[in-house]
Amino acid sequence: MDEPVISLRDVGICFSKNRKRRRSLRDLVLHGSPAPKAGEFWPFRHVNLDIRRGEAIGVVGRNGQGKSTLLSLIAGVLLPDEGTVTVREGVAPLIAITGGFEGELSARENIYLVSQLHGMTRAEIDEEFDEIVEFSEVGEFLDTPFKHFSSGMKVRLAFSVVSRLREPILLIDEVLAVGDKAFRNKCYARIQNILEGGDTTLFLVSHSAAHLSRFCTRGIYLLDGQIRADGPIDDVIRQYEIDTDTLEEDLADSDL
Amino acid sequence: MTRASMNGRIGGFTTDPSHVGPIVRARRVWDYRRILWVLVKGDLKVRYSDSVLGYLWTVLEPLLMSLVFWFIFTKLFIRGDPRFTDPYIVFLLSGQLPWYWFNAAVSGTTKSLLGEAQMVRSTNVPRELWVLRTILAKGAEFIFSLPVLIAFILFYRPHINIEILYWPVAFLLEWLLLVGLGLMLASVTVLVRDVDRIVRIILRVLFYGSPVLYSINQGRIEKVAWLYTVNPIAGILDLFRVGIFPLEMDRNRVIVASIETVVIFVLGIFVFARLERQILKEI
Repeated sequence: MDEPVISLRDVGICFSKNRKRRRSLRDLVLHGSPAPKAGEFWPFRHVNLDIRRGEAIGVVGRNGQGKSTLLSLIAGVLLPDEGTVTVREGVAPLIAITGGFEGELSARENIYLVSQLHGMTRAEIDEEFDEIVEFSEVGEFLDTPFKHFSSGMKVRLAFSVVSRLREPILLIDEVLAVGDKAFRNKCYARIQNILEGGDTTLFLVSHSAAHLSRFCTRGIYLLDGQIRADGPIDDVIRQYEIDTDTLEEDLADSDL
Repeated sequence: MTRASMNGRIGGFTTDPSHVGPIVRARRVWDYRRILWVLVKGDLKVRYSDSVLGYLWTVLEPLLMSLVFWFIFTKLFIRGDPRFTDPYIVFLLSGQLPWYWFNAAVSGTTKSLLGEAQMVRSTNVPRELWVLRTILAKGAEFIFSLPVLIAFILFYRPHINIEILYWPVAFLLEWLLLVGLGLMLASVTVLVRDVDRIVRIILRVLFYGSPVLYSINQGRIEKVAWLYTVNPIAGILDLFRVGIFPLEMDRNRVIVASIETVVIFVLGIFVFARLERQILKEI
């Protein structure tokens, strides 16, 4: 029962530093091997992590410290080069939130497509359909192709769908920076609502200390591809802020 | 527990090396069959609802091309011994339709991961699904185009022998060949972008290099006969046609084509699994 829903064992992932990552056939023929020349870097290495069901985790760290990589690994859309990632339940990823939507299809068709991609049945979607539409505020445009939507409408529809997937794990990667304030508040209320059920495991990446301490109980602080701190959210935020301030002081000093 | 949660839904995965063999992968694809069906239906919907002529496009292109070739090779040029290919329009269509499937599916799968980059990056369905959906959607169009062939068969009433029963076998072989090729091409194209151009040229060469328009028996090809033995499409077309054109059947060609097909199928599965990690980083 207490088996963790998410566990990372000595996980590492390696990217090529080489700027020209895409190889052409010419390179392949001329240089023989498709492998990029030296210069790999590990945004993430030797990471161990266990998450139990129902935990709400806030992820902090400066840009480029592996936050999105961590979420992608848990969502299963990146595979580790070292170690093992095990996720025991379905994941609703609000990462590239509008990514799963097909431009050619209408909003209505997209609601069905994306929900079905995440394993919902037609009957389940029928049940939720009105609420999804109401929440997204795009009711008038249900039969308009998704590609004609404004970016705000796209995000609204996408959030409404993805937040209703009934997946037990929810990953949110700063998507809520988009959209107007009223809609953002609605989204936060919705997340709060999901969390109150108590069964949903949440990963939230955010730069906002207020949001993190509102939703999360446990904090993870990523630095240089390592877990620098892991504990109660407020302690972790404090440490992150201290580190960042010191860094800024260092920078200020070096300017002198 | 890891495969299906309490309400029968799918979810969860592990990257544990002992859990990612071909059998686990195949089972995962099977678990997602309903979603595959949703994707295929979506493709067909886009195909048939987006254009005014809808279904007509499916039959119009192969039909028109066959009529052109029929005109060229029965009115302008002499076709060689007509014993092998009469009625010629039936001969043409029985090769053209499977060829159209092959052509559309191969060029489609080359782009099936790249073209859905956003989807691939944001949805953890088995990545093979993106390739399979293209092959199945094109396969459905192939099936939908068959009434044209059947209409001409009813009109000319050629003798049909029992070996028409090989037709589903040919269909299955072509499907396996396409899955193998598709898995390889889709993954390699993500890593080496200009593969799709090469593929287009090769497809063109293959069209004339396979007995789609002509019978292998018609010409003086003894010296290059081995090329047709090596080309799996030739053997598969033999099987598609054997029910009406029994002289096309060459046992060796069919056996070699079947072996090649199985090898390519297995190879495709392994190449795809091998490159998947890299694909996800680069897409």
